[in-house]
Amino acid sequence: MSLGIAGLGWVTPLGATIEEVWEKLCSGAAPEPTAISESLGEKTFRAYQVPPAVVAEVARQPRLRRSSAISRFAVLAGLNALRDANIELDEASAARTALIFAISNGGVIYTRRFYQKIVESGAAAASPLLFPETVFNAPASHLAAILGITGATYTLVGDGAVGILALKMAEELMTNSELDRCLVVGAEEADWLLCDAYQRWRLLRAEPPIEPFARPPRGMLLSEGAGAVVVGREGKLSLQCIHPGGNFAHRRELAGHLDAIARDVQAGNSTDVLIASANGTFIDQAEEAAAKNHFPEAAVYTPKPALGESVGASALWQLICAAQALRTQQLPPLLHVPADCGLTSARVPSEKDWHRAVVTSCGLNQQVAALALQLKSISTDR
Amino acid sequence: MTRERNNSPKKNQPRVAVVAAGVISPLGAGLEATLEALRAARDCISPVTRFPVEQCRCTTAGQVDDAWLKNVPNDRRTRRLHRASRMMICALTELREQAPDFEPELSVVGTTSGGMSFGEDYYRALERKELRPRHLPSWIANYPPQKPVVDALEACGLSSPCQVIANACASGTNAIGHAFECIRSGRYTRVLTGGYDALSELVFVGFDSLQAATPEKCRPFDAARSGLVLGEGAAVLALENLSAAEARGATILAEIAGYGISTDNHHLTQPAPSGIGPRQAMERALQSATLAPAAITYINAHGTATPFNDATEGKAISELFGRVPVSSTKGMMGHSLGAAGAIEAVFTILALRNRFLPANINFRSSDTELDIDIVANEIRSAASGAALSNSFGFGGTNASIVIEARAA
Repeated sequence: MSLGIAGLGWVTPLGATIEEVWEKLCSGAAPEPTAISESLGEKTFRAYQVPPAVVAEVARQPRLRRSSAISRFAVLAGLNALRDANIELDEASAARTALIFAISNGGVIYTRRFYQKIVESGAAAASPLLFPETVFNAPASHLAAILGITGATYTLVGDGAVGILALKMAEELMTNSELDRCLVVGAEEADWLLCDAYQRWRLLRAEPPIEPFARPPRGMLLSEGAGAVVVGREGKLSLQCIHPGGNFAHRRELAGHLDAIARDVQAGNSTDVLIASANGTFIDQAEEAAAKNHFPEAAVYTPKPALGESVGASALWQLICAAQALRTQQLPPLLHVPADCGLTSARVPSEKDWHRAVVTSCGLNQQVAALALQLKSISTDR
Repeated sequence: MTRERNNSPKKNQPRVAVVAAGVISPLGAGLEATLEALRAARDCISPVTRFPVEQCRCTTAGQVDDAWLKNVPNDRRTRRLHRASRMMICALTELREQAPDFEPELSVVGTTSGGMSFGEDYYRALERKELRPRHLPSWIANYPPQKPVVDALEACGLSSPCQVIANACASGTNAIGHAFECIRSGRYTRVLTGGYDALSELVFVGFDSLQAATPEKCRPFDAARSGLVLGEGAAVLALENLSAAEARGATILAEIAGYGISTDNHHLTQPAPSGIGPRQAMERALQSATLAPAAITYINAHGTATPFNDATEGKAISELFGRVPVSSTKGMMGHSLGAAGAIEAVFTILALRNRFLPANINFRSSDTELDIDIVANEIRSAASGAALSNSFGFGGTNASIVIEARAA
């Protein structure tokens, strides 16, 4: 079944409108990472965070007054995607809309604060206001309430590939003729605890830049925000193929899994653009091999050096980059890549227009997936 | 039984069989031990031993005995795994013994908190300034919620894409429901589904802080009910296109015949008092199964024993079904959150295959506000028929599935 993309929205450290952030990316801009410290440890980490002003207005929603940052990012991105699709949900159309969330670490800020009280002062000090916001589906619940969605609402959890798995779920739900659309949202918030964990896992680096495809891999920086996509049955951009993905029990197995997935997604097609998830970690080598083996002609881009690793939101950000590349026939510069990596990094089409983009997403904890996006006709509206 | 299936637009859609199952819960490890405990209406709630609870109102839970995790290989790699992974391996190993040829194309599993206790260990190590604790990297690697699913697949020699649903306490039923719809749409032939959750201090204290947990016995639907007790466990079900399963001569334990999901936007932790959320989920499950309410002969209720849940669920059941037999099995084993829907689906299948209805234990007196037929304290004999299994969760997520068990 072919699905169309009806609307896009994102909240990133560079801003929260599609065009504004895309222009910044194309100009080679990258935000300054902020320092995150915490009394738990002496280390200070750096992460790409969303400026508070970006979500100030949405935070005034009654439902979001006590919510964690992740819910605010998710709600703003979801509302922006619906606006981009020119959809204003009423009771009838909300009943024909499903909501699917992709989350990796979830409401980690409130989770840390909630548990901190237990450790410091005992169970009697635990806050009943914080606990509900620690639940993985709290962001989905807030957005469903704001939009009046009364039907299917799902939160999928996983690693960086979970955004593509959520799109796969949307494809499965859309076989139900009672649904007109799915709003798919991926969201994440950055916290000291996450930085510490990824650093101990030897995946984080202390300072920018993120250097994709570097050997040896030098690590990534975390970021936060949300990405949202309205998936319908029509659209100038079609989701031509969403691979259900796979799992790698050991890092050494990733390349084999990705190779098989890339082969399935390519399936005799010609791919013009590859939006990779390369982030300066062990996954880059597998993506480089897949790019060279299966998409040798494709212009390669990864948004991670500019936007950071947003885990649960990252695959949705990649999809938005793929859509923007096809819509605008332009790619941002591939930042901080070694000169000898041998990947194609064209900024604009050379001979024929770009019509097909592939997104590959390799998570840091065992999941890998990919999809292909097809442009039906070139439009000049963006 | 009132059936409309032959006249329905869904008549050409594939039917969905349960061809194998595995379970581990406070009632026991495996289908046989579970059936025995269900028949005995055994109270398997005990004092919490895994973390300090002296500051909590509630001090009991349904706990899986570590000695039951015997099916898990005791090698260097599996020793590092979280208990949740070990429970999933145990349940999936039992399923594989029944259906060694079952190769899922997709796995859809529910959970709420993954390897949360490893996150707690990690936090406490930081707090104690143990900067290089020996287990720290493995706690981090084994904490994510998809890990127990991937671990179980790997341990059982399987590989399939995974969708891990975290819809709070409805996760397990949502997972079965979505797996059912994947097969019924014709897109998949075999899907592994289920749910898991292991007790953790953070979640236990969380429910206690909300005063949703009780210092007394868990008494679902009782007039004097005062809250839930938590539980843990894992259950998995092998779903297969019925025609494909019959063609290969598979044993059919049951059919999943319908699924309904609804979202109640009333409050993050409380259901709308009207019962609209549970009612919509049950109505949609019936519609999906093309069954009239009168076709339902038993409801395995969500029945957490919190005043709010049981009032709204009981109201919705009463309005929709009248006096159909209802029981909540949470009095026996507690509320296992993301595992609950999957474990209760297995309980329902086991009981109906063996012609009895599970008991709603600790029941003393009827709530005069609820006009429902509780299967109080002892099992009841049952004829064949369709059953409904409900799960409702934080975030206003509600899920119901229709199960038609085949006699053992």
